[in-house]
Amino acid sequence: ENSLVILLQGLHGHVTTVDLRDESTATGRVTNVDAFMNMRLAEVTFTDRQGTASHLDELFVTGRNVRYVHIPDEVDIRVERQLQAIHRVRYFGGRDKGRKEFPRTKH
Amino acid sequence: MVEEGGGGGAMSFLKRFPPPAEGVRHQQPDTEAVLAGRTLGAGTLYIAESRLSWLENSGVGFSLDYPTISLHAVSRDLNAYPWEHLYVMVNAKFEEEETKEAPMAEGEEEEEDSDDDVEPIAEFRFVPSDKSALEAMFSAMCECQALHPDPDDEDSDNDYEGEEYDVEAHELEQGDIPTFYTYEEGLSHLTAEGQATLERLEGMLAQSVSSQYNMAGVRTEDSIREFEDGMEVDIAPVVAGQFEDAEVDH
Repeated sequence: ENSLVILLQGLHGHVTTVDLRDESTATGRVTNVDAFMNMRLAEVTFTDRQGTASHLDELFVTGRNVRYVHIPDEVDIRVERQLQAIHRVRYFGGRDKGRKEFPRTKH
Repeated sequence: MVEEGGGGGAMSFLKRFPPPAEGVRHQQPDTEAVLAGRTLGAGTLYIAESRLSWLENSGVGFSLDYPTISLHAVSRDLNAYPWEHLYVMVNAKFEEEETKEAPMAEGEEEEEDSDDDVEPIAEFRFVPSDKSALEAMFSAMCECQALHPDPDDEDSDNDYEGEEYDVEAHELEQGDIPTFYTYEEGLSHLTAEGQATLERLEGMLAQSVSSQYNMAGVRTEDSIREFEDGMEVDIAPVVAGQFEDAEVDH
C-alpha cells in the first residue's frame, strides 16, 4: 500500500493547493483522493502554466500529474493520526499483533 | 454553433469510426468540441470506459485514451471562456495545420509549441448545449479515469514495499530465489545473526499461517514444535530494533 495516499485522503474537505506536473496549480476543496492519488477538487482556482487564473467548479487531476500537494496547516494533527494508521497497516492488521520491530510508546 | 472544421485538411487527426457501443457511461449529443480555441464542430461526446470519443454529426471524430488525459474539469467561468464546458487537458500533440498559419489571439499556441519538446499539451473543451449535463459528464469521466490507473503508479507502490516483512515473506514463499538456501544446506552457512533472522522469519510465517501464535514476534515453544522440521535451535526473543539496519535496500 502506498502510505502517502493515506495522508492525502486525510485532506478531504480541506482547501488545498496542488501543483501539477505541467507547472499549473489548482487550489480548491478536496472532495476525493483515491488509491492512485487521483484527486478531485471543488471550487477551484486554477492557474495555468502561463499564470492565467480561472475558476473551475470541479477538477479531477490524475495522480500521475500531481507534483506537490500543499498540506494545509490545520491538518497537522491528522498527519499524526494518519501515521498511526500507517503503522497499524505495516504491522499486518493489529497494533498488538505480529512482531514489534521498534519499541513502541502508547499513543 | 459555428461549423467550420470537421472535414478535409483542416484537422487531420479526425477520422471516421462507429460510435462506441460498449461501456458507455455517458453520452452527450449536441456537444461542440473545441481544440485550443478552434471549434471542430457539433457532435456527440461518448464517455466510454475504454476511451473518450467525440463524433461530429457528419460521422468523423477522434478518440482520447484516458492515460493521456492529465485532468478534466467543469468550467462555468465565463470570463475565462464564454461558454460553460467540460475542459480536458491531454498529454499529447494534435495536428492543427490551419492554426500554424493563423495567428492565435493570445499567442498561447506558440508558447505551447516551445514546451512541446518537453511535454505536449492539448486543451479540449466540450461545450454541451445542455449545460445542466456538465456534472454528469464530469462524474462519468472521473469514473472512467479511475479505471485506467497509471502503470508508473504501481512501480512507486513497489518501492514502498520496503517494509521488511512484506518483501521477505513474499520471497520466502516463492522459494526459488537463488540467495536462499533450503534448511539443510543453509543451516551450516548461517552466522549467529543469520540464524536469528531465520528464526524470526519463520516465526512470522508461522504467525501468518496460524494467528494463534502471535506474540509480538516472540515464538513460543509450542509454535516451534508445530512448524519446524527437526530444526533444533535456541529460541531467542526478538530484540527490538535488532534488525533495524539489517535490511538491505530492495
